[in-house]
Amino acid sequence: MLKVTNLHASIGGKSILNGINLEVKPGEVHAIMGPNGSGKSTLSNVIAGRDGYTVTQGSIEYLGEDLLQLEPEERACEGIFLAFQYPVEIPGVSNMAMLKAAMNSIRKYHGQEEIKAGEFLKLIREKADLVEMKHEFLKRAVNEGFSGGEKKRNEILQMAVLEPKLALLDETDSGLDIDALKIVSHGVNALRSPERAMILVTHYQRLLDYIVPDYVHVLANGKIVKSGDKSLALELEAKGYSWIEDMDDTVAAVQQAS
Amino acid sequence: MITANENQSWVTAHADVALTGANVAWLKQQRQSALAQFEKVGLPGVRDEDWRYTNLRALKSNDYALSAATPLSIELVETKNPRLVFVDGHLDLTASTGLSDCVTLLKDSLELVKDSFGSTLPKQAHGFTSLNTAYAHDGYVVHLKPGQVLDGVLEVVFVSQSADAVSHTRNLIIAQANTQCTIVERHIGAHGTVYLNNVITEIIAGDNAHIDHYKIQQESDDAFHMGGVFINQSKNSQIKNHNITLSGLVTRNDIYSNLLGQGAHIEMNGLVVGQGRQHIDNHTEINHAVPNCTSDEYYKTVLDDHSRSVFRGRIIVAKDAQLTNADQQNNNLLLSKDAEADCKPQLEIYADDVKCSHGATVGQLDPVSLFYLKSRGINAESANALLTFAFANEVIQRINVDSVRQELTQILAGELLSGLEELV
Repeated sequence: MLKVTNLHASIGGKSILNGINLEVKPGEVHAIMGPNGSGKSTLSNVIAGRDGYTVTQGSIEYLGEDLLQLEPEERACEGIFLAFQYPVEIPGVSNMAMLKAAMNSIRKYHGQEEIKAGEFLKLIREKADLVEMKHEFLKRAVNEGFSGGEKKRNEILQMAVLEPKLALLDETDSGLDIDALKIVSHGVNALRSPERAMILVTHYQRLLDYIVPDYVHVLANGKIVKSGDKSLALELEAKGYSWIEDMDDTVAAVQQAS
Repeated sequence: MITANENQSWVTAHADVALTGANVAWLKQQRQSALAQFEKVGLPGVRDEDWRYTNLRALKSNDYALSAATPLSIELVETKNPRLVFVDGHLDLTASTGLSDCVTLLKDSLELVKDSFGSTLPKQAHGFTSLNTAYAHDGYVVHLKPGQVLDGVLEVVFVSQSADAVSHTRNLIIAQANTQCTIVERHIGAHGTVYLNNVITEIIAGDNAHIDHYKIQQESDDAFHMGGVFINQSKNSQIKNHNITLSGLVTRNDIYSNLLGQGAHIEMNGLVVGQGRQHIDNHTEINHAVPNCTSDEYYKTVLDDHSRSVFRGRIIVAKDAQLTNADQQNNNLLLSKDAEADCKPQLEIYADDVKCSHGATVGQLDPVSLFYLKSRGINAESANALLTFAFANEVIQRINVDSVRQELTQILAGELLSGLEELV
C-alpha cells in the first residue's frame, strides 16, 4: 500500500529525514517511535502533504502511484488521513459542516453523488457514539474551546467518518489522561480492518498497550535505526531513548567508516 | 480640491424644493446654520484627515436631484414583522405596515423631536451631515415613553430606485427610561442605478433603555451611501449596533456614541464584504465621558478583487471616566493582492484607572487551517470559501434576533459559500 524509499526531507534548509525506508501493507499497524526531534512528525506530515517540507531525495509510492505528485486534498481523497498532533481550531465552521464538506468533496472526487442529509446525520451520530462524544459537539465549531482530550477524540471521529485506507496518527496520545486514552484507543481499534493500514507516531510505549502494533520502528536523526515487533517498544521503554541514540551513533560511525 | 462652485451646485439644486417644516422656527434655524456650515466646509476631500483614504471623485462627477415619490418597483422579501418602506426618501404607505402611536414619520412628528433633532450630531460635522440637516425630508421616528417596550422587530426598508436621485433621510429613536426596542434598517437599491443615499439615524437612549439597532446595506453596485448613526446614552442604557455592508460602490458610515451616564454600554459590530471596486469606509467613535461605562467593538472586513476598506476606530476616555472598560477589535481578511484595508485605531485616554484593549490585523487565510481542511479531502476552493465564511460569520453570530441572524447567515453563505450553502 505504502512504500517509502530512501526518503530525505528538509524544512527551511534543515535536513530532518535522512533516508527513511518503510513498507506498509493493508491491515498492518506500524508504530513509529523516537525521541523528540527525530523526525516522527515530519514523516507523517510529508506523507499527508503539508506545505513547507522539501523532499530532497527518495520517493513515496502509495497504491502504486507517486504520492508526492498529489495535492494534500487529493491524497485525502485517495484515502490518506492524518490525525493531527495539534488539531486546529476553526471558529465559525461547525464539526458537521466540515465533515459534510469533506465527505462530499471525497465523493465528488470519486464521481459519486452527495450524501443525503438523513444518511449523513445517522452516520456521524453513530461515529460520535464510538468515541463517546456528545452529539452537541457535532454542532460546535471545529475544536473551538475543546479540551485536549476532546480534540483528539474529534480527530478519531473524523477518521471514523471518512474511513481512510491509510491513517496516520501523529502523537494522538499526547496530552491524554488515562480515560481519554482508553476512549481514543477503543475508537482506533474499532477501525482496524484487513483493508486499512495505520501508522502510529508516538513518543511513549503507553499507547501501544492499548493499540497493539504489528511492527515497531525506532526513528533517530531522521532514520529508522531499528525495527521489530511490539516487544521492541517494551525494550525501548526499559532502556530509554539513550540506548537508541547510542545505537544511532554506532550506525553513523559504521556508515562513515564504510 | 472642492471648488466653491461645486458646493454651490448642491445648494442651488435643492433651492426650490419645499422643505419639511418650512415654517417651524427651530427647524428653520437648524437648517440655516447647517447650510452655513456646509457653505463653509463643503463636501469633504482627501485633504481632510478623516477622508484621506476615501476618494469621492466618482460621487462628485455626477449630479443628483431630489426625487418625487414613485411607487415601489422592487420586490421585497416577505416578512412577518411590521415594516416601513421608504422609496427614494418618501414613505410608500401602501407597502408599509407598523405606523402607530410610537412609530411615526418625521414630517408628522416635528413637535415630538424638537429637543432631540440634531442633539447627537458631532460638533465637527462633515458636509454630508450638514446637507442632511439642511434638507432632511422625512424618516422614521420611534418614540418610547418610560417603560414602553416595542414588541418584536420593526423593519425599515430604504429603497433607492430612481436614477441620479439623492435622499436626505433623518431618523430618530427616542427611547426614554426603561424602554426596549429592536430596529432593523435595510438599505437596498435597484440594480445598476446610480444614486446617493444620505441617511442619518439619531438614537437617544434614556436610563436603562435597551436598543438593538441593525443597519444592513445592500445598495446597488453603482450607489453612494453616506450614513451616520449618532447615539447619546444615559445611565445604564444598553445599545447594540450592527453595521453590515454587503454592496454599494462607495459607502461611508460614521457611527458615534456618547456614553453620558454611568453604567452605559455600547456594542458595535461591523462586517464589510467587499468585491469588485467597492470602497467601504467606517468611522466609529466611542466617547467615554463618565466613569463605569463599557464598550465592545468588533469589526471585520473581507475584501476581494480591487475592493478597499477603511476602519477608523476612535475611543476617547475623558479625564473623569475612571473604571472604563473598552475593547476594540478590527480584523481584515484580504483575498486578493489588489485589495486594500486601511485601519486606524485611535485611543485617546485621559483617565488613569481604565482598561482599554485593541487589536487590528490585516492578513490572509491561515495556512495551517487551510491544510487541516485539505487534509480532510476538502478541495482548495471550498477550503478557502469555508474559512472566509467562518471569518465573517463570527460577526453575524453576534446578532441576537434569530430571524435576522438566520437571514444574514444565508445571505453571507450565498455570497461566500457558493455551492456549499447547504452546509449552514
